[in-house]
Amino acid sequence: MIKSQAMEKINQKKHQVMRIQNVSLSFGGLKALIDVSLEIYQKEILAIIGPNGAGKSCMLNIISGIYTPEEGTVIWKGKKREKVAPHNIAKMGIARTFQNIALFTGMTVLDNILTGRNLLMKRGLFYEAMFLGWARDQEIQHRKKVEEIIDFLEIQAVRKVPVSRLPYGIQKRVELGRALAAEPELLLLDEPMAGMNVEEKEDMCRFVLDVNEQFGTTIILIEHDMGVVMDISDRVAVLDYGRKIADGLPKDVRTDQKVIDAYLGVG
Amino acid sequence: MDFWFFLEVLIGGLLSGVMYSLVALGFVLIFKASGVFNFAQGAMVLFAALTFVRLVEYGVPMIGAAVLTMIVMVILAIVVERLVLRPLVNQDLIILFMATIGLNYFIEGMAQTVWDSNVHVLDLGIDEYAAFEVGQAFINKFDVMAAGVAGALVLVLSLFFQYTAIGRALRAVADDHQGALSVGIPLRHIWIYVWSTAGLVALVAGLVWGSKLGVQFAISTVALKAIPVLIIGGFTSIPGAIIGGLIVGSGEKLAEVYLGPFVGGAIENWFPYMLAMVVLMIRPQGIFGEKIIERV
Repeated sequence: MIKSQAMEKINQKKHQVMRIQNVSLSFGGLKALIDVSLEIYQKEILAIIGPNGAGKSCMLNIISGIYTPEEGTVIWKGKKREKVAPHNIAKMGIARTFQNIALFTGMTVLDNILTGRNLLMKRGLFYEAMFLGWARDQEIQHRKKVEEIIDFLEIQAVRKVPVSRLPYGIQKRVELGRALAAEPELLLLDEPMAGMNVEEKEDMCRFVLDVNEQFGTTIILIEHDMGVVMDISDRVAVLDYGRKIADGLPKDVRTDQKVIDAYLGVG
Repeated sequence: MDFWFFLEVLIGGLLSGVMYSLVALGFVLIFKASGVFNFAQGAMVLFAALTFVRLVEYGVPMIGAAVLTMIVMVILAIVVERLVLRPLVNQDLIILFMATIGLNYFIEGMAQTVWDSNVHVLDLGIDEYAAFEVGQAFINKFDVMAAGVAGALVLVLSLFFQYTAIGRALRAVADDHQGALSVGIPLRHIWIYVWSTAGLVALVAGLVWGSKLGVQFAISTVALKAIPVLIIGGFTSIPGAIIGGLIVGSGEKLAEVYLGPFVGGAIENWFPYMLAMVVLMIRPQGIFGEKIIERV
């Protein structure tokens, strides 16, 4: 039984959600990414790692569509993707969290997560203004889904607390909740464990794995904690000075000479 | 001290304060959603009032004129977003502020070119001088009506901000642009909503002030009275705009009547600004403003 589930996961992984082909990007004279190719498979957890300034965040922004590559193409679900407006990224089914939390600090946890469902609400200004009929039904329905996410992330106790009053680790969790509320296909996590203590990191790892397993969400994360990366990812891609130097199973990447050199600063 | 006289001055002051709140509300809306102090709010009040009164003079019934004026204000919001805000996105707030100063003069000029610069009588069918008695104090009926309108507007706006998806999106944009974009909130639409709502507030303020003072250029300077209201109440709070208005209104009237005689009178005009300065020294964010926490 366990074996067949594992097989299923591997088979599903063969299905590509995104293919990045020979992408390059530079800022002025600084080459941030040089000829990088990367495939992203359905339902996998992919970690992008590398020393500081290797181009990890840049890669994430290419994937999410905030940056358009100067050279190379991005293929999303079998079609070449053109330039997208920042607010339309969510519409494609891509949600993300930020390295420096970008929550709505004045609002409660509940309201923050509700904004994540923004696109799923078919709103009518007039109905909303009047609190009429289906506008309210719709609100109740979305509330239900949000409560499920709150339960899932174990933050029931702080539902009505303004985010600015919460500790850092919980804020990170709320931000994950907001991203999940959009029911994304692809979830991008920019350093989800940064600045956390061991206990908070363990919790976050559990949530990432559970999201992947229960909702079948494809997850790409940038992370510096190697222990975490090796533990939770199905695949690891390593960047160094804007080039991809390794891409494979965690155990293979860990012993790759080029990766070791990059981290130790050899060459 | 005569109690009934004091009460009359106090109530008169509170009611005129509500009228200041109405103007201040327009500032708060735009400040809340974009952090920009919209210098052109006073000009918008003038523009809305002029549009309304001229349409009525052309024989459009009042309801129709109100609806048409509102449509004009929405168009103004769209034009402002397209021609002023969008090209200046990601610029410093001070640059946006400067842009609204320019916008202020443009709207003032346009309002008087399109319509005219005469004083127009705006008669909403309420006698401005009718009063009723409470005990031995006379209370102006029109002021009470105006207070009622302002109260209703604040209630509706607060509910809208608190309990609708669009209200939530507005607050989200105010808090964090990046986060708002990541959940698919289009900043441009939100700005149009906010400026349209500020247009609606300008229309209501214009009607109330216009029927009190006559629709004329001086209405746009009423906006200056909103500044101490905002400083006292806090720039980001809708209830703050109301409380600030009440403090300014009652404060200036009481000061005029009871302190005025000792310093030669006419302190009504500068008293609110002095009050605002004191508040700035004690509580820079205003009574209801978001607390300023600075990390060193």
